[in-house]
Amino acid sequence: MRTLSNAIFIVSLLGSVIFPTASDADYSSLSIPQVKYQGGQPNPHPTAVSSLLGQVARRTSIEVNREPLQIKLSDPNLYRYPFIYLAGNEKFESFSQEELHRLRNYLSFGGFLLIDDNSAKANSKFDTSVREMINQLFPQIPLQKISRDHSIFRSFYLINRVTGRKQINPYMEGIKIKGRTVLIYSTNDFGGAWARDNLGQWSHDIIGGGSRQRQLTIRLGVNIIMYALTLDYKKDMVHLPIILERLRRSHSR
Amino acid sequence: MNILIEWFGLDPDQFNEVAMNMVAKDLSLVWILALVVAPLALWFFWTSLKRIQSPIRKIFLIALRALTFAVLVFMLLKPELEFKKSHTLKNSIAVLLDDTKSMSIKTFPSETPRIEFVRRTFEKNRNMLESLKEKFQVDYYFASSQINPTSHAELGNRYRPKKAVTDLENTFSQLRKRYEGKSLQGVMLFSDGADLAMEPETVSPEMLALLADWEGPVHTFQAGSNEMFMDLAIEELDSADFGFIHQPVRLTVTISASNMGNKNIPLVLKEGDTILLSRIVEVREGQNQYPVEMEFTPGALGKRIYTLTVPHFAGESVATNNRRDFQVKVIRDRIRVLHLNGRPAWDSRFLREVLANHPKVDLLSFFILRTMGDDVASPTSELSLIPFPTNLLFSDYLNSFDLIVFQNFSYEPFIDKKYLRNINNYVKQGGAFMMVGGELSFQGGGYERTAIEAILPVQLERTSQPFIGESFHLQRGKSLLRHPILQLEKESSANAKAWQDLPELNGVNAGLKPRKNAHVLAEFDKGNKNYPVLVAGRVGEGRSIVMATDSAWNWNFRRVGEGGSGRHYYKLWNNLIAWLTDDPATRLLQLETDKERYEEGEDTLLRIRVLQEDYNPSIGIEVNLTIKSREGEEITETIKTDNNGEAAHQWTPQREGFYTVKVKVDVDGDKREADVGFSVFSETAEFQKPKVNETLLKRIAEVSGGRYEVLTEKTDLSAIKFPNPKVEVKTHSKSISLWDNWWTYGLILTFLFLDWFTRRKSGLS
Repeated sequence: MRTLSNAIFIVSLLGSVIFPTASDADYSSLSIPQVKYQGGQPNPHPTAVSSLLGQVARRTSIEVNREPLQIKLSDPNLYRYPFIYLAGNEKFESFSQEELHRLRNYLSFGGFLLIDDNSAKANSKFDTSVREMINQLFPQIPLQKISRDHSIFRSFYLINRVTGRKQINPYMEGIKIKGRTVLIYSTNDFGGAWARDNLGQWSHDIIGGGSRQRQLTIRLGVNIIMYALTLDYKKDMVHLPIILERLRRSHSR
Repeated sequence: MNILIEWFGLDPDQFNEVAMNMVAKDLSLVWILALVVAPLALWFFWTSLKRIQSPIRKIFLIALRALTFAVLVFMLLKPELEFKKSHTLKNSIAVLLDDTKSMSIKTFPSETPRIEFVRRTFEKNRNMLESLKEKFQVDYYFASSQINPTSHAELGNRYRPKKAVTDLENTFSQLRKRYEGKSLQGVMLFSDGADLAMEPETVSPEMLALLADWEGPVHTFQAGSNEMFMDLAIEELDSADFGFIHQPVRLTVTISASNMGNKNIPLVLKEGDTILLSRIVEVREGQNQYPVEMEFTPGALGKRIYTLTVPHFAGESVATNNRRDFQVKVIRDRIRVLHLNGRPAWDSRFLREVLANHPKVDLLSFFILRTMGDDVASPTSELSLIPFPTNLLFSDYLNSFDLIVFQNFSYEPFIDKKYLRNINNYVKQGGAFMMVGGELSFQGGGYERTAIEAILPVQLERTSQPFIGESFHLQRGKSLLRHPILQLEKESSANAKAWQDLPELNGVNAGLKPRKNAHVLAEFDKGNKNYPVLVAGRVGEGRSIVMATDSAWNWNFRRVGEGGSGRHYYKLWNNLIAWLTDDPATRLLQLETDKERYEEGEDTLLRIRVLQEDYNPSIGIEVNLTIKSREGEEITETIKTDNNGEAAHQWTPQREGFYTVKVKVDVDGDKREADVGFSVFSETAEFQKPKVNETLLKRIAEVSGGRYEVLTEKTDLSAIKFPNPKVEVKTHSKSISLWDNWWTYGLILTFLFLDWFTRRKSGLS
């Protein structure tokens, strides 16, 4: 019995090392905690977020905290992190009314949620759970396809297609409140394309595409983060002439 | 008649007339009785008296019944005798004398003012007017946009051309109301017809309708004429009361010219002695009006007074209409903010939301999205990044910004050091600068010993750790609790609670030493060491603020998470923007007038507020106040501030024009000045349409059946005629009922008794 309890203690200690609690984090840098929920598999690609943040740090001026964080919607520290990531590949239990209320406020007053279906299947059980959750979250505001002129497609890279580890849908969906997109949902398993193993190798092969598709998925991740931090900055008049000219050249090629 | 009056016991001296009136209102019963019941009754009488043999008795009874019936009808008509006293009334004549300013305009070649023609006519026709009084009640009125009663005797002293507006339609409406129920048999109107409400050569339908059913004739007498009338005027000027700084203000001007010949006339717009704009108006024979569009761009804030002039030529009838002064309150349309972010982060994202959603802010923001060391793994053509337009921002357009914010921004390698000097000059000349903290701010951004450090309210000390990642609760500076930046709530206890409830901050820039005259509004009190976090200071004419943390967004988003709202975060930023951009409410010496413009003779009220450096009221401070007119007249007063640091001064300008008020105070050696302008207007609209309106005067006479005449030295009013019908007026009366008395009822009863008695005697029941 003592051996077993020691083993449980070591595992939980390891768990806390791998996934420290949110309250331990550095708030000046960008941290993206992953939302913990009941049922299903809330973390199919444990290194996805850290890997993406590594790319963000390498490619942009954003200061990041790559330490993997997990957070419950009921966590009092939730509002220290205006960007959270919800992923999975299985059906999960519905959030409580209190948690939904908290998430609704969180998104309405400045927060951002990226939902990523890691199942790489169309109409997956995770997809069903997500849509049920969003229906309960914003019954009056349906999920809508994000149009190609959205700032997300030009916040850092100029992007003209939506990819992932497997392209289930050629689009992302989102919810907009007062002109700001507060929630983005992708069915293309972004996390699968971002995740790396302990040796720094890509954890998963890209289905139906090669490294270009992975690169585009990383760029999309960078753009989503950049959008959360700068909003529609790239739609300011000062940027438009150059961006439009580059887009024109890109289309003419 | 006297016998009748005496019969009813009345005094014959009190009554001179008698009349019988039937006062029954509803006569239908009488008609039914007369037309239906009477024939039936006659038939009934005849048949019911068949058994009476004596024809005399039969006729007697029928006569009795007919008389009873007649008395009954008489009663139903309710007759009354009205005894009354009445006398004959004099009909009224109204004499209207135009006393508006246009009556002072001279007529050429005699150079006689229009009003003088009226005076001379009255002088010459004195006897006629006196004799008119014998037949009529003659009432005199001054007429402008309203009527004011006067008398013939008072004309010499009171008849002056001083009223602001001619509005004859309103004048006649008032006249009609005044004589309602009275007998007004005619009007004599002495005027130039220069009615501001009427278009030239036209008469409004309302005016024509009013005159069409006028009881007596309206005789119109034209004072002055347009013969040899020479005038150049700024007839109309349409400009907005408000304008925006550096934005064009549009003026729509109408120049009118009469008998000016062919000339090219300069129309000049000035502010003080500075010519802002000039247009040449080509005046040609045969054209009276010249519309001109002008645009000018105000370069300074506040109430600005502008003058529009055309030259004054010899022989012009009116000199005052060659110049128009007007006032434009020049305000900021938007506060133009340049917001530079060293890197995308939550603090900059939430601040951008504040600035982008601020209704008065015009935001230009730049985020440094990549540094030289970043590997974007992509060609530039696949990036949305644009080159940072340093030269445009810090050389060409620098002065167009009202506020520059550096947020966690290191100037190298984006801004050449020489441009930091430009920013320094921009602030000293009245601009505003704010540095928001973070690892890339202050020493982290390499600002030590730069021109930027010189404009900060803090000095940058050498430190090994320029940014400390500690959590702390911000403490307000105890001596600056009234500072406008710190007012999150109006009431002081609510404000204290608001600050207390703000979430803690994480991270502070260290090594900042407040300058001597800077205000440390809030700090991180670590016990053994205080870190200034919010520091404000004045630099030359400009203002500068330091916020030494990159976690102010906690007061927005985290506050929501704690069950509050981001309201105080927004309020703090609004306060910061207001203070930085020198909002009048944040000044230490505030001066204002209770109105933008005053009418001639109206009291002006000047309010002054003097505050100490810490925004507490300056009590008992001497305020030297100078009011200066544009003509150079000067009034100086010294007043003292009360317990609220406030003082007021009331003053009545003696004449129209533009005035400047300058106040000077000395608060503990700090000499301050403020000024404000206001205008006093005397209505001169009469001179904008100065010509005699013959058409109007002719039409008034024509429609009302009167006579139109141009006043000359020889004008004879004796030919003027008015109808004079006899009008009687009842002074008192007494009515006596002829039916509602015992005599009438007794007569009916007597007739009925005789009928009964005769029938009994004839053997009937």
